[in-house]
Amino acid sequence: MPRLLLVAVALAGAAGWGAIALHRGETISAAWLVLAAVGTYLVAYQVYGRFLATRVLGLDDRRATPAERLGNGRDFVPTTRWVLFGHHFAAIAGAGPLVGPVLCAQFGWLPGTLWIVFGVVFAGAVQDFVILFGSMRRDGRSLGRMAKEELGPLTGLLTMVAILAIMVILLAVLALVVVNALRDSPWGVFTLLCTIPIALLMGFWMKVWRPGATFEASAVGVVLLLAALVAGRWVAESPVWGPALTLDGETLAYAVIAYGFVASVLPVWMLLCPRDYLSTFMKIGTIVLLAAGILLVRPAIQLPAVTRFTDGSGPVFAGRLFPFAFITIACGAISGFHALVASGTTPKMVRREGDARLIGYGGMLMESFVAIMALCAAAALDPGVYFAINAPAAILGGTVESAAEVVRGWGFTLTPDTMRQLAADVGEGSLLSRTGGAPSLAVGMAQIFSGAFGRGMTALWYHFAIMFEALFILTTVDTGTRVGRFMFQELAGHLWAPLGRTSWYPGAVLASAMVVGGWGWFLVQGVRDPLGGINSLWPLFGISNQLLAAIALCVGTTFLVKGGKVKYAWVTLAPLAWVLTVTLTAGWQKIFAADPRLGFLAHAGQVAAQVASGALPAATGARLVFNDRLDALVAGAFLVVTVLVVAASAREWVLVARGRKAPRVTETPFTETAYAG
Amino acid sequence: MPADAPPPTTRLARLRAAARRLLGMPDYAAYVAHCRAHHPGRPVPDERAYFAEWVRARYGDGPTRCC
Repeated sequence: MPRLLLVAVALAGAAGWGAIALHRGETISAAWLVLAAVGTYLVAYQVYGRFLATRVLGLDDRRATPAERLGNGRDFVPTTRWVLFGHHFAAIAGAGPLVGPVLCAQFGWLPGTLWIVFGVVFAGAVQDFVILFGSMRRDGRSLGRMAKEELGPLTGLLTMVAILAIMVILLAVLALVVVNALRDSPWGVFTLLCTIPIALLMGFWMKVWRPGATFEASAVGVVLLLAALVAGRWVAESPVWGPALTLDGETLAYAVIAYGFVASVLPVWMLLCPRDYLSTFMKIGTIVLLAAGILLVRPAIQLPAVTRFTDGSGPVFAGRLFPFAFITIACGAISGFHALVASGTTPKMVRREGDARLIGYGGMLMESFVAIMALCAAAALDPGVYFAINAPAAILGGTVESAAEVVRGWGFTLTPDTMRQLAADVGEGSLLSRTGGAPSLAVGMAQIFSGAFGRGMTALWYHFAIMFEALFILTTVDTGTRVGRFMFQELAGHLWAPLGRTSWYPGAVLASAMVVGGWGWFLVQGVRDPLGGINSLWPLFGISNQLLAAIALCVGTTFLVKGGKVKYAWVTLAPLAWVLTVTLTAGWQKIFAADPRLGFLAHAGQVAAQVASGALPAATGARLVFNDRLDALVAGAFLVVTVLVVAASAREWVLVARGRKAPRVTETPFTETAYAG
Repeated sequence: MPADAPPPTTRLARLRAAARRLLGMPDYAAYVAHCRAHHPGRPVPDERAYFAEWVRARYGDGPTRCC
């Protein structure tokens, strides 16, 4: 980028931040937020990203990449950088960057905006870039394998167990988001049900009828999906089908569990591949559409910059601004899960080393941009409406009247008629207490889309947004369960060899059942939770994801220390220190805080007291107490594993830095590229 | 530059190839071209075997999708 253009971009970003800093009125246009964010990303990419690429990591275009050296036309394939950028972006950006910022909006729009923009520049994008680089220099090895090679077999094993546990929590919470969005929503259920036969049809099309015609089949799939979306209204209004597809949370939860199990044992070409293509198409298309919508409509941000709930009394989730804003927004600022993608398919496709900056650092900046757009969509809602959708029924009471009363008590305006009208506009029975973030995001997106691309279609846009979120969450459930199955089999193979053979059918079924049972259990408990489940599961997910980031940053720091770059180790040590501070504090509070809304153990104590006084049936009480203790145990286990990995890494760094241990570089030796300049 | 696949000739073909890679779709034709160029004399696996190997590489080796 020419220097003059960089200065212009910097000035535009500064203008955005200036408008944010100086605004004193009631509302501010979302355009300023977008301008500030994009300006910051471009400057960070040019300045900090370049510094990382040249000084810290020393990317070398003369060095042949794994795609070139090991090219096999299958998974090791040299790929043009913009195409790989799109592929990597589609793999890292799912529901996380959409849901986290929406939930975090309970603190106002400012804390989330600052964390998303500056977190990505100094933490998230650095992590993705360093891990992509490390894997690229090691023949595309996975994070677990690199942890084992750099830090020893025990640390490697701990990392693998942590990854499996995190997958289980991740799948449970994402499935819960879908269940909450589809509860009592026949239109949504119908559309999502249709994705299954559509995917099967695409699968047979590509495999049996017209082998290789993937593009054609995907295009037909998208058209059919949109037809199902339109037909959904008619189905929902039908006196027969409407009630039949109006399902409660528990029924939906068991349906999702059954689906996850079947999808993970079916051959991939039947269900998984076509869904993967469909959701990639929808994801990229909708994100482009959303960006266009925000630029066209430039919605006013209605939410206050900072709300009263920073003190920890918020209804969406418990806990103060520090540390909970920083674990609620994981994807978009820093997400440990990306380290798995950055050490998975992507490093095997990089054509030149220099491309890694665009793909690793740039790809994460793009995800951060998605998070900013999600935040804008939520913050453009009337604050009263936002809280009425996102606060659990136990706090709002079950009716629009009681909800309006409670929300007014928090100092926002809301009338029962507003909520009734809104529900009617989007074609739903009710929007009260639709926790999980997806419905409020869908309302926000529907307002933006219908403002930009045609009014009077709010209901259609709402269900389009719900379908879009549910589609790729279920794709994550598919792939995640399958991956969890393979990981489980690899771990179990150490105990009994036949279990490790992925082609042995009974082993595959058993491993799938274990993985589905794991996340399904948390899902069902989340659905039954009187506080809505998101309240306890989302923080658990945030903590586990950020702890995985800590492990990835430890591995990244080890690359630098052993590679003779100790003086630059701060680029990963600084985000590591921050992530550890935030997450250990949050984990500690979730386990031990005295407030029963926040601390798992305190909540168990409160339930026990309610049982003792006869306010709660003993069986329900026992179940809730067990859940609380299990959640506390899971959070505690995450903390312990992370502290162990950090301690083992720190020991290694000190040994190498003091010269007691030779800095053994595990990189594959240099080979000169055959590509012409 | 090693001849992995014959470069797509028309603009549409190039666009299609890029879209396939973007979605992570397997490309058997490119694979056959790769095998002929790099391993002459070795039999080229049929599409079924290729697809099975691709699935293992794509979904069997760690998470490929994030949250």
